Parts: sequence; C-alpha cells; structure tokens
Amino acid sequence: MSEYLIRKAIVNDIPFLADVVIASEKGMSDRLSFATLFNKTEAEVKDLIMLMLEEETEGCELSLSSFIITEFEGRPISGSGAWIEGLNGALPSKILKSNLISYTFGEKSVRYLRTKAHIVQDVLIEREPMTLQLEYFHILNEHLGKGLDADLMHRIEENARAQYPGLGKVQCQIFKNSVFSIKILLRHGFRIAKSYKSADEEIFDYLPYNEKLVMEKEFKN
Amino acid sequence: MEKEEIVNRLTPVFRKVFSDNSLVITDELSALDVENWDSLSHMLLISEVENEFYIKFKLKDLKKMANVGDMVAIISSKF
Repeated sequence: MSEYLIRKAIVNDIPFLADVVIASEKGMSDRLSFATLFNKTEAEVKDLIMLMLEEETEGCELSLSSFIITEFEGRPISGSGAWIEGLNGALPSKILKSNLISYTFGEKSVRYLRTKAHIVQDVLIEREPMTLQLEYFHILNEHLGKGLDADLMHRIEENARAQYPGLGKVQCQIFKNSVFSIKILLRHGFRIAKSYKSADEEIFDYLPYNEKLVMEKEFKN
Repeated sequence: MEKEEIVNRLTPVFRKVFSDNSLVITDELSALDVENWDSLSHMLLISEVENEFYIKFKLKDLKKMANVGDMVAIISSKF
C-alpha cells in the first residue's frame, strides 16, 4: 500500500472527481440521473458537476471537502465522498445539494425534472442526522484488488471520528444492482438495513435500477 | 414589498409544491417540518418561487435559507 497516497481532495482534483461522481452514479448501468432527469448530455453534466464542486459548499455529496483522493505515481486513481449529515447545525444535505443543482443546472432543467419527479419519488431516501454518509466510492479498474478499499474505508471513518468523536453509524445508499460495491460494503461490516423499491417500470429509463438499499454499520464507541 | 404580501403569495406556491391545501407557512417552517420536502420538491419550490416573484436567487441566497422566514427576508431584499 505504500505506493499509494491517500489525501484530502483539492481544487485541482475537481475534473477527476466529476468522473468519480459520474462513474458512481451510473454504477452497473449506463443511466446517469443527472443527465436523464435534467435532459442533459453526459458531457454537459460533467461541466455542471465541476461547477458545483467549485462552489465548495460543505455538508453534502457535492462538497469538495467531502472527498478524499488516492494518488498513485502522482495521479489520482480513486475518489471517495463522505460527510456527517447535519454536523454543526448544517442544513440537511438534500437542501444543500438541491440548491447547488437548482442554481447550476438552471430553470429549463428544473422544469424538465418537474415532468419526471414522480418516477423517482419512491427511491428518494432521507438521511439520518449525525451519521456518516458514504456516497461516492470509485477506484480505477487497474487498481482494484490491491486492498485499497480497506485503507480508504478506514481513512474515511478516521476522518469522520476526528470531526465528531461520538459518531455512531455510517450509512450508504446504493442501488441493488451494484453487486460489486455491495460485496465490498458487506466485507467491511455493513449490513442491509432497509430497501426502497419503485413499482414504476419507467424508472429504468432514468435511474440505474428500481430498488435502492440503505446499508449501514454501527461503530462500537 | 411588505412581508405580508410575500407570505400571501408564497402560501399557494407552497401548497401547490407540497400538494397540501392546509399547509400554513410560518417563519420557522423548514424542510424538517414537511414530510415530502425532499431534494426534488426543494428544487421545484425554488423554481416556482423564482417564477412567482420574477427573481433569481443567487447561490449565496440559497445557502442562507434555513427556513421560510429566511426566504421571505431574501425575497424582500430584492425589491
């Protein structure tokens, strides 16, 4: 592992982080919800994600401060995003994220979303306050199988406990077809806590899958 | 624009977005108080409020908006 360097993400990492967000959002599918729900191309979405990360809002999945990067030979090869929901009285992450998207994507995109909102309602899940929320976790293919996931998970949890020593739980929302990622989480002590499924088949045109899981792990304090 | 007028114009917007004709908005009302105030409805709310008042919220405005009272104050500041 010594050939890898894990560090906090910085502004220069934003283009790579945009790729991390896109790869994580698509999971095991070709559906990118930022594109399908807002009528954008993937290239447009990448530019918009970079703009949102550049705002450096704290406390949600689109916060630069939520990410850690792994470097290999001076180049980023993994990105992981996590934050403590509602820490220090912050607004709920759903509001912070929505503000960023509203402002960055623009009114035309939000009007388009209005016509699709009913399709995804069943898989919108509230985040539990004062828990660690793990949202994005992506390692470039050629660096898989090197034990990096364990070190990243440990660093994420360590960073979170330094911010909030009383941290009791980490949660991750993940589509059920992300079998590889689910296996990794199970290996790291997560269990499936809840499942949310949509009966609307149209959801497959917009999201990676029709069922989302909440996986969680409790910390022994 | 007076606060009362802003609240009177916001009320039907909130009721439409959250599909609740009995919803009463107060200064303290926030996303924590309304069951279906999620990320999607928040985006729709912002869009509808901007259209109602012919304004565009800056991102710094949105960041300061913890409740309806903050929203009213920000709308008022734009007139």
